[in-house]
Amino acid sequence: MLEEPVRLVESPEEALTPRELRLERGAAALRWGAFANAALSGLVILAALAGGLRLIPDVFPALHGLVLGRVAGPDDAAVAGAILLTQINTALLLVLMVGVQARELWALVGVWLLAAANLLAIVSAGFTPAWLTVLFAAGTGLVISRDARAFRLNPVMLKELRGRMRGVRAFFVLTVYLGLMSGFTALLYLIYTPVNQATGSAAAGEVGRVLFMGIVGIELVLIIFIAPAFTAGAITGERERQTYDLLRATLLPGPSFVMGKLESALTYVLLLLLAAIPLQSIAFLFGGVTEGELVLAFVILTVTAIVLGTVGIYFSAITPRTLTASVRSYTATLVAAFVAPVVMSFVLGILNAAAGRASPVVEAALVYLGDFVVSLNPIATALSTQELLINRQVIAFWTDTLASDGSTIPRVSPWVTFTIIYLVVSAVLVVLSIHRTRRAEE
Amino acid sequence: MRTAGGVPPTLRSGIVTELIIETKDLRKRFGKFDAVNGLSLAVPSGSIYGFVGPNGAGKTTTMRMLTTLTRPTAGEAWVAGHSVLREPRAVRRAIGYMPDEFGVYDDMRVWEYLDFFAACYDIPENNRKRLLDDLLELVDLTHRRDDMVDKLSRGMKQRLSLARTLAHDPQVLILDEPASGLDPRARVEIRELLVELAKMGKTIFFSSHILADVSEICTHIGIIEAGQMVAQGSMEEMRSQLMPHREIMVTLRDEETAARAQMLLANFQGVLGIERLDPRAGRSRLRIDFTGDDEGVAAINQKLAGEGIAVLGFTEETKDLETMFMRVTKGVVT
Repeated sequence: MLEEPVRLVESPEEALTPRELRLERGAAALRWGAFANAALSGLVILAALAGGLRLIPDVFPALHGLVLGRVAGPDDAAVAGAILLTQINTALLLVLMVGVQARELWALVGVWLLAAANLLAIVSAGFTPAWLTVLFAAGTGLVISRDARAFRLNPVMLKELRGRMRGVRAFFVLTVYLGLMSGFTALLYLIYTPVNQATGSAAAGEVGRVLFMGIVGIELVLIIFIAPAFTAGAITGERERQTYDLLRATLLPGPSFVMGKLESALTYVLLLLLAAIPLQSIAFLFGGVTEGELVLAFVILTVTAIVLGTVGIYFSAITPRTLTASVRSYTATLVAAFVAPVVMSFVLGILNAAAGRASPVVEAALVYLGDFVVSLNPIATALSTQELLINRQVIAFWTDTLASDGSTIPRVSPWVTFTIIYLVVSAVLVVLSIHRTRRAEE
Repeated sequence: MRTAGGVPPTLRSGIVTELIIETKDLRKRFGKFDAVNGLSLAVPSGSIYGFVGPNGAGKTTTMRMLTTLTRPTAGEAWVAGHSVLREPRAVRRAIGYMPDEFGVYDDMRVWEYLDFFAACYDIPENNRKRLLDDLLELVDLTHRRDDMVDKLSRGMKQRLSLARTLAHDPQVLILDEPASGLDPRARVEIRELLVELAKMGKTIFFSSHILADVSEICTHIGIIEAGQMVAQGSMEEMRSQLMPHREIMVTLRDEETAARAQMLLANFQGVLGIERLDPRAGRSRLRIDFTGDDEGVAAINQKLAGEGIAVLGFTEETKDLETMFMRVTKGVVT
């Protein structure tokens, strides 16, 4: 069967058991919630555009009062914040949907947490669009909590982790990884200190910052290489070991299989990331790095690991062999990580040059386009988030002044958009992979 | 016994037999090659059904269709009353499947392997420990509980596989070549295990090209060749259908008695022919080709005794499956 590409067909619908029906309904509610949030954010964006282009007067104060009534501050920034919060809800609802389908324990908890967080946002910030999320998340929570036993520790994840963490191998990998990281940190310190002394600017904070950025940078590169490798063989490996059919003949739901594989790989990557936090914290000895940076770096690294892990899973699901799947995931990853930023910055440079001293509208559009492009790439996101944090003390939102006419526009630190985009992409890839594993051989 | 919804009980030999696996004109085409070509299978509930055929006859493809792994090109199949086309999940719940190759997770312990598959069948964690103990005891692997799976011998792996298929207490076991590649002892162990499982009320549908396995334990048999069913039925039906002749072997003291017996029986009703075999260990032997029933066999025995012929041995040679197999299959390997 392996030698020839296997044509796949959709399995027909069959009567669901009450439990399957409940899960299906819960997942559907979350999906509709995500769509509703996406549509709403689209509407607000359109309204904001109309306001920004001054087609309709006084849109921003009105919108501000409508969507984020209890937060003081500039109107346009409040609207931008509301848009992003809705989009974060979209991403989280999609992730939870996949979790509910896979019967993950965290999804059961997460649904209620999301509803509670949104309720809090309504009460404290007057974030009215959150009603949508509260409605769908709590609705789902009510449906699925009636059968809380359906949610359990993912058997596939348990199996994979048992195998992966057994014996000396896991210990060995972790030791080598930390050894290399420590060596790299020491090297960085040794190289940087003499340079520092020679120039005379002996700001200890700068040493700390360089160490921190160096470690985060190397972790990012490591993740780019490790995450797809962990998952590209996840499904093809089962096919090659001829255990895939065994699993398919059981009652293991497709979503549980895909999520279990993803979770086990991500758990290990997460372990590597957590293990390196003490190393990152060495930077605190020198100062110049805040806890905020540490947290943001961790978020960016984790989100990168999630999306690259799902890229590997996706190619593993659609290709018959591990080798092909690995090649494809690496190609996709390397293009997205290293080739795309070069091309895009080139294109953006040309656009910027062509625009020259253009109207404020064109300038604003280019600024936003630039932000969007930066958030497509983990390395660019990390660098630019770091830069904003250090030079402008910006964690998430800030106000920028346009060069053309001195008017201000609200901007957002790229890690926020990056997280939203990558979580949505991950959820979509997982759904596609699940869809693939559900098909029967023709 | 569960009623197989949707499938009417079939009337065979005057007895209502419930079919737990039934296929109607099942077809599977790979490109231009018909792997299974209009197969109609009938496996009665509670039977041990041997699915025999040469390599490449379509046994594995049939089993993969019955286990919902491969979709039939045409035709229908029901397992435990559920259509494999429309209710694959219900079918999966009813079957335990063991493919011909052992799926090895090389980094697992024996108990973890079973625990994993039990979890895949949604068995709550609280019940799993006891289930595992029971399963390991059933297949006699309790002492290897904490060993790594890939350290087991082939026979043990096969028994572990069998334990895995039983995790969710299925009605039907679909086993693809369960005894292939095993040493004689392991083969006997598997065979005994299958008989034990049948006693527990499971229907066992297994394929094999080793005919000895089939003839020893099966209650029913189906012979497949080139994707088509050549013959199927209970062992008795098959014997009488395919082997109208019985062979009776009579051992006598010397050549003289043998000649007398031969003359005596030459015109006996149902006797087609008598052959004098070479004496063995100083005793003469006759082979009688006979078409009569059990009464007839008894009558022959009585006749000889009545004439004062000392009979040292009187046995009916059961023609083995090998002969049966050779007779029905034409050697058309696809």
